[in-house]
Amino acid sequence: MNSPSAQFVSSRRMSVYDPIHQINMWGEGFKSNGNLSASIPLIDEADLKFDSSQSEDASHGMLGTSNKYEQEANRPIDKIQRRLAQNREAARKSRLRKKAYVQQLESSRLKLVQLEQELERVRQQGMYMGGGLDSNNMCFAGPVNPGIAAFEMEYGHWVDEQNRQISEMRNALNSHISDIELRMLVDGMMNHYAEIYRMKSAAAKTDVFYVMSGMWKTTAERFFLWIGGFRPSELLKILGPMIEPLTEQQRLDIDNLGQSCQQAEDALSQGMEKLRQTLADSVAAGQFIEGTYIPQMATAMEKLEALVSFVNQADHLRQETLQQMSRTLTIRQSARCLLALGEYFQRLRALSSLWSNRPREPA
Amino acid sequence: MHQAIPYMSSHNNNFGNINENYYSNKKKENHASSKGEEKMILNMVSENAVIVIGKRGCCMSHVVKRLLQSLGVNPAIHEVEEEKDEVIVARELESIIEGNVQFPMVFIGGKLFGGLDRLMATHISGELVPLLKQAGALWL
Repeated sequence: MNSPSAQFVSSRRMSVYDPIHQINMWGEGFKSNGNLSASIPLIDEADLKFDSSQSEDASHGMLGTSNKYEQEANRPIDKIQRRLAQNREAARKSRLRKKAYVQQLESSRLKLVQLEQELERVRQQGMYMGGGLDSNNMCFAGPVNPGIAAFEMEYGHWVDEQNRQISEMRNALNSHISDIELRMLVDGMMNHYAEIYRMKSAAAKTDVFYVMSGMWKTTAERFFLWIGGFRPSELLKILGPMIEPLTEQQRLDIDNLGQSCQQAEDALSQGMEKLRQTLADSVAAGQFIEGTYIPQMATAMEKLEALVSFVNQADHLRQETLQQMSRTLTIRQSARCLLALGEYFQRLRALSSLWSNRPREPA
Repeated sequence: MHQAIPYMSSHNNNFGNINENYYSNKKKENHASSKGEEKMILNMVSENAVIVIGKRGCCMSHVVKRLLQSLGVNPAIHEVEEEKDEVIVARELESIIEGNVQFPMVFIGGKLFGGLDRLMATHISGELVPLLKQAGALWL
């Protein structure tokens, strides 16, 4: 079929019959090799082609063979229709995906609420959770102890308040805050530490083993445990570099403080060792005689009472160390020191979390 | 008034441990004559630069002892064995103690210093060593 080329056909969109026909005719006019008769069938053809191009797949057949002019005339309409249809399809698929996603979210949320409720219920029944308050280290240590359950709840609040104070201190040190205001923040943090020691003392009376083992702490914190808490001399070594620059007198004072801590810690550790020995002896000397009073157990029980004193003395040492630090340092140094201390424990807690959530190779 | 003279206190510190055994033995033998013992305790307090009075087998007394020893002090030790001994000691020390008797207790320079609490607090604040030196329990 002889198809006159239509180089001059404009690139503008053709959406209606008439312009196409006109252009066809124009095309023929230009071309005029005298093939006027050819135009008519072409028009008809164009009509035909145009009609058939209404269907989606017709355009494919068209492109190779038909009048290029007409192709371009048809293509825009094809394109548009095709594009519209594709859009509709895409939109539909998108809506379906969104719906699926939202449903998934909803069911996850529901599961989360259920888990939280169960967690709360279990806590209130007085079961202990090892590894601090993250659910990764559950170890149930026995039946209800309301004193400990109360402690754990209070501890959660204590940590929240601690985190808030740390942020506040950080911001304060980065801004231009007066020494007076800084002192208030420092006092606030010191009082907050006093608070945890009060809490621990009360908890020790209800369950001294719980406090001795640092059960409320995260795993990494517990790794560094010494008589139910941190070791003051260790902490001094860590914090030392963070409070530079120091005057010579301060340096001397801090060194002496470190030494005094070490001596006090050693004395307490030796006392603990003696307690262990005498306790072991009492238990070893005991007998199991049915229905008889076992005096050795009574002795052992008395020994355990001493553990409460140890916890109290160790906490007392921690507090005294913190106070002596703040006496030796300027207010700004104290603030930096307390900030560093708080951040150190935050990082230990984060480390515990990271460790327990690390991807593990399947055995 | 009860400032120990260096020679005297070192003499007594050496005796401190001997005294401990002596008095414990005496207690076992003779509960009746409390008057003699009463005097003894007061004497011990005044004669020793540092003396620790605690219950026998008490681990806190052990802590006090270890701490003082780590500072270079050789404290006299007096162990109270039974419940009623506690009462005797308390009564005797009434003259120099206000309030309740709590073991272990530390006497420095013949005066009641306090318990482990106070010992640790003053050590951390750096005040203990000068105090001990002043009482003649430590030399430079």
